[in-house]
Amino acid sequence: MATTYPEVGEVLHDVTLANGLRVLIVPKPDYHETYALFAVNYGGIDVRYVPLGESEMVEDPAGIAHFLEHKLFEKADHDAFDLFGATGASSNAFTGATSTAYLFSTSQQVATNLTTLLDFVQDPYFTEQTVAKEKGIIGQEIQMYQDTPGWRLYYGLLGNLYPTHPVAQDVTGSLSSIAQITPTALHRAYRTFYQPSNMTLTVVGNVDPQATLDLITANQAAKTFAPATPIQRGVAEDCGVADILPYRALSLPVARPKAAVAIKGQRPVGDDLAGTRFQVAVRLLLEMLFGDSSPLYQDWYDRGLIDDSFDCDYQAARTFNFVTFACDTADPQALSDALVAVIAKGADQELDPARFARLKQAGLGKYYQGMNALDSMANQLSAQSFASVNAFEMAQVMRDVTLDDLYQAAGALFDLAAVTVCHVHPEAQA
Amino acid sequence: MRIELTAGVHLNVIPTTKFKTTRIAVHFLAPADADQYAARTLLTSVLETASAAYPTQAALSAELETLFGANFGIGVGKEGGMHRVSATLDLVADGLAQAPLLAAGFDFLREVLTRPLTVAGRFDAAVFTRERANLIDYLNSLDEDRQTQASLALQALYFDAPSQKAPSFGTVAGLEAVTEAGLWATYQAMLSQDQVEIVVLGDVNPAAVTALASGLGLAPRNPAEAPYAIDQTPSALRRGTDAVSVNQAKLDLGYHTPVALYGADYYATVVAVELFGGSPLSLLFTNVREKASKAYYASAVLDPFRHFVQVQTGIDPADATEVEGLIAAQLARVVAGEFSDDLLQRIKDGLTNGRLIAYDAPRFLARQALLHALIPTHQEGYDAFASGVAAVTREDVQRVAAGLDLHAVYLLTSKEGN
Repeated sequence: MATTYPEVGEVLHDVTLANGLRVLIVPKPDYHETYALFAVNYGGIDVRYVPLGESEMVEDPAGIAHFLEHKLFEKADHDAFDLFGATGASSNAFTGATSTAYLFSTSQQVATNLTTLLDFVQDPYFTEQTVAKEKGIIGQEIQMYQDTPGWRLYYGLLGNLYPTHPVAQDVTGSLSSIAQITPTALHRAYRTFYQPSNMTLTVVGNVDPQATLDLITANQAAKTFAPATPIQRGVAEDCGVADILPYRALSLPVARPKAAVAIKGQRPVGDDLAGTRFQVAVRLLLEMLFGDSSPLYQDWYDRGLIDDSFDCDYQAARTFNFVTFACDTADPQALSDALVAVIAKGADQELDPARFARLKQAGLGKYYQGMNALDSMANQLSAQSFASVNAFEMAQVMRDVTLDDLYQAAGALFDLAAVTVCHVHPEAQA
Repeated sequence: MRIELTAGVHLNVIPTTKFKTTRIAVHFLAPADADQYAARTLLTSVLETASAAYPTQAALSAELETLFGANFGIGVGKEGGMHRVSATLDLVADGLAQAPLLAAGFDFLREVLTRPLTVAGRFDAAVFTRERANLIDYLNSLDEDRQTQASLALQALYFDAPSQKAPSFGTVAGLEAVTEAGLWATYQAMLSQDQVEIVVLGDVNPAAVTALASGLGLAPRNPAEAPYAIDQTPSALRRGTDAVSVNQAKLDLGYHTPVALYGADYYATVVAVELFGGSPLSLLFTNVREKASKAYYASAVLDPFRHFVQVQTGIDPADATEVEGLIAAQLARVVAGEFSDDLLQRIKDGLTNGRLIAYDAPRFLARQALLHALIPTHQEGYDAFASGVAAVTREDVQRVAAGLDLHAVYLLTSKEGN
């Protein structure tokens, strides 16, 4: 159960409990902090599913996973925030497209806080009144994102790529979708997805691994759970290009225009070794072609086509994968044309082997740096906790990637049929 | 450990084996002069773009890749009455990389900081022109972050001195006024006259680091000094409002505190502000956000260098007057002592807990070393902070909270909302 990773200098204790909960523990005795993440394989896209114990597919309002995350903190006579706070610990939570995570960070009373974390997430309490009040707070959060042009651009782009897939919906939902959320819907989603077998607990910090595991095991053994049941998810893999909207223009209160281009992945990317290696290859490919040491970047920068705001990214998760490019630019059409021209070459790219070796080494260096902070290490472990390759094994995957993998990734992804373009223009001043 | 390398240039070494990285920071400090902010900021862009040894951005990035993906950046900031330009390089620890990255890192910093790309004794004109244009574009786009926009507007409203009204990175008008000759003069002044503090943290040998830091070749200097603490005497309450195209309004408030930087009531003020709005347990968070459901965020932060406490909220435009009243009511509760002993203790525990965790971060440790070098009254260790916070009483909190004087109210609201 304990595996040593000499390359990163860490020991990982990886245990799956009788109820199906996977526990990951990394002892860090020379740190003051302990950081724990309780994660659920359930996020913003999971709005279609067969509820536990039922047989018909249901459709939930957008934003329900995020709403559930907010509501779990509140109990009949207290708020879980206060229980963490009572020990001086800080706590938080976040919801992504495919997962939700609850966390605390502390330098003291780890056992108490770990118990609080397990107990508050596993003890739902929703009433009409508290659900109604939460709509005010989340409504403000939605308004805030609506005022962020970069956010609007991102979801505009996803809306083009995925007209019928919920990844294009804001994780927080909309004012109209959250208005439809009820305590009944929250309970139904909770009992379906918050099964221990669909969850992981990651603990990194100044802890004794065996004592920590014993505490978690005893906590779980004292609770009654329904038998672990496979979840029937209704949101299918979306790799089709037929329904992509090729272009969208937005008019927003920005100082400069923005251009964004995205490519939809046309084949599923698994979370196994092959899929992980493909993801690493894609990220290296993007760095080779568009990174700030690339000839292309230099040329575009010198010509004023891009500036430091240029960003490219690859996201691969359950049911979707896509590449995005975005930048502030005076001439959005020229930039998107230039990006499209590179994509149009498919696998016919010029990739310099010496630069590839250098970028691999730099990638490993960044990876080590990311393992410096406990929150970063815990987040990486947790993010990989529903996959078969753990965060400490990523170093070897990075070493193993070849230039040929990059050409194959380019061939698989770079296809004009899978491309969409989005431009943001400054709205006319009143 | 603080070592004088030469007059006005000091090295601060923090040996530790705890981290996978080595951090090098080179800080240049000069009295805050608003007229120089734009030039000093443009300087950071020009220096981190092109050097004699790395004449293009691609060449410079390639060098960082060779250094195992080192993270490098030059930024600006204010420490009260001083303006700071900081070059920071984070390297993978030599032991982990199995390579002498620390020495290579100092070579890199020497090239970037002291040997920029020049043509006939000036910065390369193409680099100057492009970086200035990019920075102007960037400053113009800052208003896309409405929280930042409101915070900067509040400071401009609150402070009188130009050096405090203006953000540390300058203004568009300031940048438009920077000339090639002016930028070169700013660079020469920074390199030869600024106080320099170098901080190195990691698994390093102090003697070896001293030799490497001396290799930067910084000349002796007699730096100009300015007070770190800025204390603007409050005048009548100021109000400012802007209406823009937003859904959510931002209501920000600025208060003056008479408490001196790291002075007698410093820890009491830290605790009082934390109780008022510094944590999720605070009165602003629990009463304005959670109970009244009137804000997505509502927080208070202390800037001890400037005797300044800033409250930030994101609210419905229609609620501005009500929320201002709610904020005043929360401060009144702190002043009146309307909080439990239990809450006060939890606030204090949260502060010490967070502080202890901060000691796990190289960035924080390096920052403490800098503050300790700059400010004689700064106490470096965790124990001083913990005992300072522990000694704070309910009466202390009430007294310093009563000293908070509302001085500026800024509202960024929607065009439709009013």
